[in-house]
Amino acid sequence: MSQKPRTAEAEPGQLPPLEFLRLFRRVFSYTARYPGVRARLFVVVVLRAAQLSIVTWALAAVINGPITHGDWPGTLLGALGFLAFILFTQVTFGFRIYYALRLGEGAIRDLRRDTFAHLQQMTAGFFQQMKAGRLINRMTSDVEAIRAGVQDVLFICIVNGGQMVFTGIILAFTDWVLFLVALAIAPVLWWVNLKYRTLASDGQRRTSESFSRVTASLAESIDGIRVTQGFVRQEVNAAQFQGLVSDHSRNVIYNSRINATFLPLLEFSAQVFIALLLVVGSWRVLHGGASVGTIIQFLFMASVFFDPFRVLGTQYSLLVTSLVGAERVFRLLDRAPDWTDAPEATGIDKIRGHVEFRDVTFGYTPRQRVLNGVSFTAEPGQMVALVGHTGSGKSSIINLLTKAYLPDCGEVFIDGREIRSIRSDALRAQLGLVQQQNFLFSGTIMDNIRFARPEASDLEVIKATKALNFLDLIEALPNGFQTLVGEGGSGLSVGQRQVVCFTRALMARPRILILDEATSAIDTVTERRLQQALELLLAGRTSFVVAHRLSTIQRADQILVLAKGQIVERGTHAELLVRRGVYAGLHERFLTNTAAERDPA
Amino acid sequence: MTPAALSDGAIIRRLLGIAWHYRWGCLKVLLLQLVLLGLGVAVVVLTGLGIDALRSAVQPGAPAPRWPLGWQPPGGWSPMGVISLLALGVFLLSLLRAGVDYTYRLSVDRLVQARLVVHLRGDIYEKLQRLAFRFFDANASSTIINRVTGDVQGVRMFLDQVLLQTVMLVFSVGIYLAYMFSLHVPLTLACLASTPLMAYLAIRFSRQVQPAYQENRRRVDAMVQCLSENVKGVEVVKAFAREGDERARFEALNNDVFDQKEGIFRSIARFTPTISFLSQLNLVVLLLYGGWLVIEGRFPLGAGLVAFAALLQQFATQISNLSTITNSLQESLSSARRVFEVLDTPVAVQNRPGALALARARGEVRFEEVWFDHGVDPVLRDISFTVRPGQRIAIFGPTGSGKSLLMSLIPRFYDPTAGRVLLDGHDLRELDLDALRRNVGMVFQESFLFSASVAANIAFGHPEATREQVERAARAAAAHDFISALPDGYDTLLGEGGVGLSGGQRQRLAIARAILLEPSLLLLDDPTAALDAGTEHEIAEALESAMRGRTTFLVAHRVSLLRRADLILVLDEGRIVQTGTHEALCRQPGPYAEAMQTSHWAPSAEVAR
Repeated sequence: MSQKPRTAEAEPGQLPPLEFLRLFRRVFSYTARYPGVRARLFVVVVLRAAQLSIVTWALAAVINGPITHGDWPGTLLGALGFLAFILFTQVTFGFRIYYALRLGEGAIRDLRRDTFAHLQQMTAGFFQQMKAGRLINRMTSDVEAIRAGVQDVLFICIVNGGQMVFTGIILAFTDWVLFLVALAIAPVLWWVNLKYRTLASDGQRRTSESFSRVTASLAESIDGIRVTQGFVRQEVNAAQFQGLVSDHSRNVIYNSRINATFLPLLEFSAQVFIALLLVVGSWRVLHGGASVGTIIQFLFMASVFFDPFRVLGTQYSLLVTSLVGAERVFRLLDRAPDWTDAPEATGIDKIRGHVEFRDVTFGYTPRQRVLNGVSFTAEPGQMVALVGHTGSGKSSIINLLTKAYLPDCGEVFIDGREIRSIRSDALRAQLGLVQQQNFLFSGTIMDNIRFARPEASDLEVIKATKALNFLDLIEALPNGFQTLVGEGGSGLSVGQRQVVCFTRALMARPRILILDEATSAIDTVTERRLQQALELLLAGRTSFVVAHRLSTIQRADQILVLAKGQIVERGTHAELLVRRGVYAGLHERFLTNTAAERDPA
Repeated sequence: MTPAALSDGAIIRRLLGIAWHYRWGCLKVLLLQLVLLGLGVAVVVLTGLGIDALRSAVQPGAPAPRWPLGWQPPGGWSPMGVISLLALGVFLLSLLRAGVDYTYRLSVDRLVQARLVVHLRGDIYEKLQRLAFRFFDANASSTIINRVTGDVQGVRMFLDQVLLQTVMLVFSVGIYLAYMFSLHVPLTLACLASTPLMAYLAIRFSRQVQPAYQENRRRVDAMVQCLSENVKGVEVVKAFAREGDERARFEALNNDVFDQKEGIFRSIARFTPTISFLSQLNLVVLLLYGGWLVIEGRFPLGAGLVAFAALLQQFATQISNLSTITNSLQESLSSARRVFEVLDTPVAVQNRPGALALARARGEVRFEEVWFDHGVDPVLRDISFTVRPGQRIAIFGPTGSGKSLLMSLIPRFYDPTAGRVLLDGHDLRELDLDALRRNVGMVFQESFLFSASVAANIAFGHPEATREQVERAARAAAAHDFISALPDGYDTLLGEGGVGLSGGQRQRLAIARAILLEPSLLLLDDPTAALDAGTEHEIAEALESAMRGRTTFLVAHRVSLLRRADLILVLDEGRIVQTGTHEALCRQPGPYAEAMQTSHWAPSAEVAR
């Protein structure tokens, strides 16, 4: 019982250093799905790198050539040639922008799609552990951070890196001694890179994590706004939120301090090397006999050589941000579901409705057992009522039956097949589940009912509603079937929501029906309607019912009385009464209450 | 979100207002940026001097270096000494520059991230906390989240990416222009002929992409909404084995974002190079007109045309920033609009000036001809009744009859459309809202627990409560036993990374939360609905003690609770159709008696089956 709750996320400080290359390769692999765009982008980027230097050269050529020589027709021709060239340059530029944006957007679209698909494979336990706001944050800011990495970093680095390599070669040929001096910057760069990467990854991780907390807290406070206002907690909440926001901003500043140290440091080291080259170069001219022209040329080229530093530094910091985002997204993508369907699991034909639990033991955490050696059998068409106190394991039986969780020990059989050998989706497609609080999606009532069977026509939806005798209840809503409900069913009362959920369950044409306190939170009038509807829903189907209405329980073919995770009694209502055990006690207490109620005299 | 749509001009004015608020920070950033520029130039000048000094030392014909500020190295210095000194100067200035650069970068982030963004987020959050429920009924949570997270960054963008950049742009362009004009006025004018066209294009681009950016935000909202619903409703999705369809729905929304972005990309890919092209077109004008001037001998080549070309290229680089700024401006305007919409949403339910703060209400509640509607059909019609302090009122009626709504008028979650609600003889609208709500304890149909410890959830309305108070409330709500059995007792964390509770347990925490406040009014929205028969029995006493001495409104369907009510209001379609005690109503033909007779409570003939 003393097990500490699992934390959903590791703290940034506990993580191993950012695996740059692996993350980068993985992000880059997302561009592989757009080979055409990517290839064209590469071409355009290289083209543009060449064009940028040619523009300057061409301008100088026209001035030094025809204009200097007073050649007017030549000037005219040169100017027109220049015009044609810049037109070409800008068209290339347009494609460069377009392809980069497309590639980035495409990659993050795919990432979002993969993440969403992955989330759907996660088991119920995962969603218990993760705040919705955090997952939303993963799909918005973290994915967004990756975009910049895909759109720009690599391609800008190619242009600037290319510029450096190219200039470096010229430098080596111009004066190799000086070039060796210039090369001495490499270890400095290496050190800066090493230091920076560690610090910046850590800083960026903290920043992303604290922002994720901001989002999660915000999401929660929106969901709980009614309670907050009802209990006049606005100021306290606002102060807490402000605390999170300030905490986040401290991390941002910490991060920005790292960048503000390293990026200027990078430029500074380049300047130091220029100063050094000036001294060494001059010494070589004055004492070593090198030609002054060579040295001047070398110094000019050296500034071109060091120029991309600033750009590369900025891109580097963008890369860190981007890879930290990638790390967070990939950590989610790599988080394996607690379990998945066995590869040999198959679909299942129309379920007859034979259900058997054989010595099932189960706990949500390894150390806390909720079910202990539970065995029972339900024949097709039978109605099984689960009775017991809160926490006795009723809902856990249902969670195992719907394969939301797998038993730790023992087996669950449906029509004689072990539940692990049945594909989850195939199984669930034949189960109908109505809970006490059911989630509705934003959209119309019609959409929500149709959720169970998207291909159903409007007419079928209306027919199902009629069959359950709910038509008047739904038509009484402001726009009938077209009434819009908000996320989670806001705008509808609990009773109205259950009406929709019952209809939704019928639409699914389930073979096994599970009602988990489905009629609990409902007013008597609506409940009566739901009870009548139940008759129809239950007919010919195996059903499991968790309820505290005696009337429902009495009708069951089999009552399982649970206490502390074990079945302590089983039988029909009449049998259990005769036995004078736990059930009889419950019943008696209930009767006392009810009798007093019925007989006000 | 709000009826009045803000014009671009109004938004910009407001953004400038925000910038004005941070004017000293902005000024500091601008000054630092100027110092950086100056230091950058100084380093280049010093390096150039070094080269000139070297050249004059080796090449006899070379011009002597032009020493700045009238300084001249002493004649006895060796060229190597002079050059070393200059290199030292480069080193020191670079060091200084690095320091200033550090301060500059940090100042920008301190200004926008640590101040502007923090304040804005705080303001929006604070506002959200006060907005009436109608706002939350009407806006999906993901939209609201996006506004606090993404859109706030958009507003920030206006300050550091638009405003400060524009000032720098204007400044540097001004310097280049002054320099160019000093060289040759007609040539400058000719080379700048395309500038009005650029301005025109920038404005047109803005008009074109802004709606697109807004559409983008809407589509992103829809996509995030789908995600959020799938996370929150994951059980339903799995229960109906709808993963595939939901994946398809998400993919469609995801593609919607992608497809729509395509248009924005095309616009940017057309606009940016066009601006760039126009600024390079100036170079063509220079070659033709300037070249002609040189050939005619009216303009020097080196000091004239070459210098002019260099200036014009710098000018072009600066101007091409214009497209980035324009794009940022559009993004920040769309974001700002969404942020301001939240900030401007009127707080529908708010304190009147001079509202009366009721310390402890006696608990007399009076409804006078109250009507309420959400804009369509009335949900409550002509409700009038009076409740004496300490009375217990049950509200009974079918789904959708307005029971919960009637209750939510008492803590003023909504204001009536017509008529009034009085507490102790005061119209609720004349009472201080917070004080009023502190007098009301509430248990909702669905208990919402926050990700915090059990104790913190119970002490939600009164965070300073001692552990004894918390435990007493928990005992009264029959929650103490199960709490003690939790892994960490009262310190057990709920929600994310914490344990899950059953519906009954959650509801008992909610009851404890309400009891802790010792309110004079208690609102119970079907508190026992989620409890099983055994637990209900246990909690009956707890509820009884909670209700004692308090005016209590409860929505209930259990006869056990209805029987103990002093007055039952039977609602149907928003109207009170019957009033009376349980006994009286049972004897009276009408919906109540009808509901009682056909209900399934009693052991009927079936029992002995």
